[in-house]
Amino acid sequence: MSQKYEFTKEELAEIEKIKAKYPDKKPPVMPVLWLAQNKFGHVEPEVQHLVAKTLDLPPAHVYGVVTFYTQYYGERKGKYVLDVCTTLTCQVCGGYEILHHLEEKLGIKAGETTEDGLFSIQSVECLGACGYAPMMQITNGVYCNHLTKEKVDKIIDDLRAGKLPEYENMPFYQHGDPEPSKS
Amino acid sequence: MPEIFIDNIRYEFEGKPKVLQFMLDQGLDHPFFCYHPSLSIPANCRQCYVEAGTPVMNRETNDWELDENGERVIRYFPKLMTSCSLEATDGMVIKTHRTSELVKRGHKDVLEFILMNHPLDCPICDQAGECPLQIQTYKYGPEGSRFEHKKVHKPKRIKLGPRVILDAERCINCTRCVRFTDEISKTHQLTIISRGDKNYPAVAPGTEFDDPYSLNTVDICPVGALTSADFRFKARVWEMNQTPSIDITNGKGCNTDVWVRNNLVLRITPRYNPDVNDHWMPDIGREDYRRMNENRISRPDLKLDGNKIKSSWSNAEMTFAETISNAKPEEFLVLGSAFSSLEDNFTLQKFFKSRGIENISFVTNIQKGSGDGFLMDDDQYPNTNGCRMLGFEELSPATFKKKVSGGKYKVIISLEDDLLGREVIDTTDLNSAFFVYFGSNNNKTSEAADLVIPISNSVETPSTYINVDGRCQRTVPAKETIYTNRKLNLEMSVGRLDRYGTKFDNWVSDRNRVDCIPGWEFLERVALLDNSNFGYETSEDIIHEIAHTNSNFSGVSYEAMDEQLGVQLKVTKETKEKTA
Amino acid sequence: MNTDWKNFEPVLIPNIKDLYKIDVYEKNGGYEQLKKVFKDKKHTPESLVNEVKAANIRGRGGAGFNAGLKWSFMPKPDGGPRYIAANGDESEPGTFKDRVIFERNPHLFIEGSILAGFAMDITAVYVYIRGEYRDQINMMQKAIDDAYAKGYLGKNILKSGFDLEMYVHSGAGAYICGEESSLMESLEGKRGYPRVKPPFPAQKGLWGRPTTINNIETLANVPLVVKNGADWYTSIGAKTHPGPVLYGISGHVNRPGVYEYPTGMLITDLINDVCKGVRGGKKVKAVIPGGSSTPPLRGDSLDGVRMDADSLRTAGSMMGTAGMIVMDEDTDIVDVIWRISHFYHHESCGQCTPCRDGTGFLEKTLIKIKDGEGEMRDLDILLDLCTQMEGRTICALADAAAWPVRYAVERFREDFEKRVKKTVYAVA
Repeated sequence: MSQKYEFTKEELAEIEKIKAKYPDKKPPVMPVLWLAQNKFGHVEPEVQHLVAKTLDLPPAHVYGVVTFYTQYYGERKGKYVLDVCTTLTCQVCGGYEILHHLEEKLGIKAGETTEDGLFSIQSVECLGACGYAPMMQITNGVYCNHLTKEKVDKIIDDLRAGKLPEYENMPFYQHGDPEPSKS
Repeated sequence: MPEIFIDNIRYEFEGKPKVLQFMLDQGLDHPFFCYHPSLSIPANCRQCYVEAGTPVMNRETNDWELDENGERVIRYFPKLMTSCSLEATDGMVIKTHRTSELVKRGHKDVLEFILMNHPLDCPICDQAGECPLQIQTYKYGPEGSRFEHKKVHKPKRIKLGPRVILDAERCINCTRCVRFTDEISKTHQLTIISRGDKNYPAVAPGTEFDDPYSLNTVDICPVGALTSADFRFKARVWEMNQTPSIDITNGKGCNTDVWVRNNLVLRITPRYNPDVNDHWMPDIGREDYRRMNENRISRPDLKLDGNKIKSSWSNAEMTFAETISNAKPEEFLVLGSAFSSLEDNFTLQKFFKSRGIENISFVTNIQKGSGDGFLMDDDQYPNTNGCRMLGFEELSPATFKKKVSGGKYKVIISLEDDLLGREVIDTTDLNSAFFVYFGSNNNKTSEAADLVIPISNSVETPSTYINVDGRCQRTVPAKETIYTNRKLNLEMSVGRLDRYGTKFDNWVSDRNRVDCIPGWEFLERVALLDNSNFGYETSEDIIHEIAHTNSNFSGVSYEAMDEQLGVQLKVTKETKEKTA
Repeated sequence: MNTDWKNFEPVLIPNIKDLYKIDVYEKNGGYEQLKKVFKDKKHTPESLVNEVKAANIRGRGGAGFNAGLKWSFMPKPDGGPRYIAANGDESEPGTFKDRVIFERNPHLFIEGSILAGFAMDITAVYVYIRGEYRDQINMMQKAIDDAYAKGYLGKNILKSGFDLEMYVHSGAGAYICGEESSLMESLEGKRGYPRVKPPFPAQKGLWGRPTTINNIETLANVPLVVKNGADWYTSIGAKTHPGPVLYGISGHVNRPGVYEYPTGMLITDLINDVCKGVRGGKKVKAVIPGGSSTPPLRGDSLDGVRMDADSLRTAGSMMGTAGMIVMDEDTDIVDVIWRISHFYHHESCGQCTPCRDGTGFLEKTLIKIKDGEGEMRDLDILLDLCTQMEGRTICALADAAAWPVRYAVERFREDFEKRVKKTVYAVA
């Protein structure tokens, strides 16, 4: 708890660049919160105060923004946050089965974090990958598509070994052969 | 002039009013929650629906299009409109709940949704009795509830700051409080957090809502979500009576209402005055109710051989008369007070003028830099301009100390001003002068005085003050003294308890009445001893005389002050310079 | 009606390897339209607006408003800044098509944005992309950086004297930010509360300045119109709703995904031919044609229904984002509607009373029915609540929440009736 939250010189330079994109002092709050969350893994109140101070904004404003957007972690979460989509297409294509499989496998319920702090599970709203349902996202990052229980098991094993799944290029069937285009 | 038809009645309007405000200005009742005339318009409560239509313009004739009956063709907006954000346009037709079933249904629908997650705790809620939600539910709400599910639970009894407590479950998310801190007090301390029906106002973690104007959010909260930490659970609204008054803790003179039950002031709230304080007042002015109730001087005090004893009024009058007849005019130091009313100051001036003492002075209490340019001025006293306009000699604390400490004065007479308490002088400066103090509250100065005359304070007798901007405003008595009676003094407000309470009721007693009289009345009585009295029967007589003898005050009367929310006086160049 | 859809060559996502790379894009005619406008003076801003207006590109974000007409609402330049907010929030359940543009043809979108910027004398384009699309955000940023490096963005573009900046702004998880005024609030660094209109964005948008908000796919259509002309564009697909469109088809079909075809495709063609039919050869129970907020259609009422605004309106639904969800005969409609309801309850920003509390009331009632605790009167309450919410709020989220419930209860009433208690017992 006594950890001191600060931005490095490089990060402050990055923040200056972000500020230059906007004609006002409020807009950088979202990109800077992202920057802070990527660095600290969360945006708990101390981090919110750091962001407010850095951008010269009222702390209440930053707090309001953090709590409005679901991707900001106002509370600390596990190292890997497994956001399982259960909305509409994912629901009818087995999103809840994936979620329950994960819950059983990790011994926690959606919204909880494993004791070792490695995994959190969340049941989340549509992630915009409906054609690739069921799916989940790992810690606001990579998408894991077309999930099966076996695929989930492998992902968990890989994550335990510190290996994140790679970006999957999803096929565009119309082009005949689904072709990958890595960036 | 452009016209608007509301429920088939024609009104004319000027400028670009919003329909809701226009209706309210016409005295038409219409429900709303989030709208506040002094804040931005978020149109989020959706309570103020109306049906609205505009006449169709015929492009060729450049006139309104008419139907076969010669009536204007009206094109209605397809949806119910929020009248708070709807701008009136020429020829607009508005249907409210009086003429439209759809609007009636709209009002009911919104109230059903608001009440869905709102606790049914009116019997223990401070807001009950003055709650827009309660009132509008009675008027426009559904007969029962169809919501048979669990309500959303949120934090209760959250201390947002030292003076404001939040019950998030009661919040209907109108955002008035957040807008207040963003737009009026500009401290930006509040925000709405979370989303949907889980949201509620909060401060950032680790901070507190210590905005010097925080209690205004309690006033404008349309439900009991924000309550005053101090006033909470002290009284039901309907047990108190409400009297217009003036905040005298500051030179700005915010217009207030004082709320009294059982002859104790329980709270002070701002009263709308667009020329002074709009709808607002600083928190510090609200704490002044303690001074009105507590630590009061009751019956005159006389120092005898260094010991304070209570004295009778006639003894005090004789002592006062004797003291002033025993000294030469140059041995007098007569102090008016920027804390005291115009009535007392003027009578003091008149009393001593007739005894050959022309020079009355007063000691300023201006704390440079303490003001905020909004409703808190550097001037800590309410009547500095009044003293100036009466022609009193204005002394800074330092000048005054020098003046008094020489020891040339045998008699010092001062209207209420805690000169010792605010460390202008100390007891040694008084030397051996006989010190007469007119005051309402015990303090260091009254302690040092040889004769203490207990006088009625601003909520016990009508008191007039001229604020820093030259606005002349007065208070109305709200609290009885031993010598006044609410039911006999027609000016005093009489609440339900005052009228019907019996001594077996919880909140009715004869206590809490102070043995004091207005300062001017004491001087009148002393003057009566040698038949030099002025014939004042009420404080209004004094104001009448001031208005007709001192050109600075022409046009001033209680009637004018009451009708126009104060009378604006010219602040002379001289007084302005001194203020600067 | 173009029945020759099987031979349709995609133009938004043409079949070109590595098209997302700027060199490949240029080699295949990319940024040519920019040169034609800036160097050859093919268009003045006015003629460009008129061309796009004539093409009748109907907004691909859901509302289906003529993009050129929207552009023409922008006031005359007054020397101050003016903005485009490109809407890539793409959070309507069932919608996953803009991401394909980010992944496969970002420069088409950038070129379209620059052309739009020229047409409306824009200062800066803010590309608002939902925060969950982290990878797509990175791809888009890379594409923008490349375009800057080649001089297509920045100061004095192609020596035309026209300046345009383009920035990516990442969302952070809020469906409501796809609503245009909420998106602007979010861009301004605030909680995403939709704004009261009027004033409309063209008068007072971002930072109080004139702003146009267009969907990513809408802007990607602009270079095609400039290249081939409005006549070409209106000849594609449905007459009143022309052009190529990215269909995102998901659910119980054999080959879900994004497909580019003309508008006005038969829903049955999309399911049976394009997506190779329903999984396991089952029957279709329901189709949601354009994202979760569009009213569901019964599987037995799909004959002859085409994917364009007019045809879908006749059928009792809407085009929305063309994100179609197909559900087979085993689907539990009550469960689906509850989950949609949960979504809107979760995503309501909480500003307006009918939405904030109405979405919760809907969801709680649906849970009651789903759990077998419902009564017949609850169905009437549901319909009543929908009436209380529709058209009563600042933005359309309340409508979006109400429509699926209303139309599901009306069109699949037997499924709901099966789930509620038959008898009402008097309260003891």
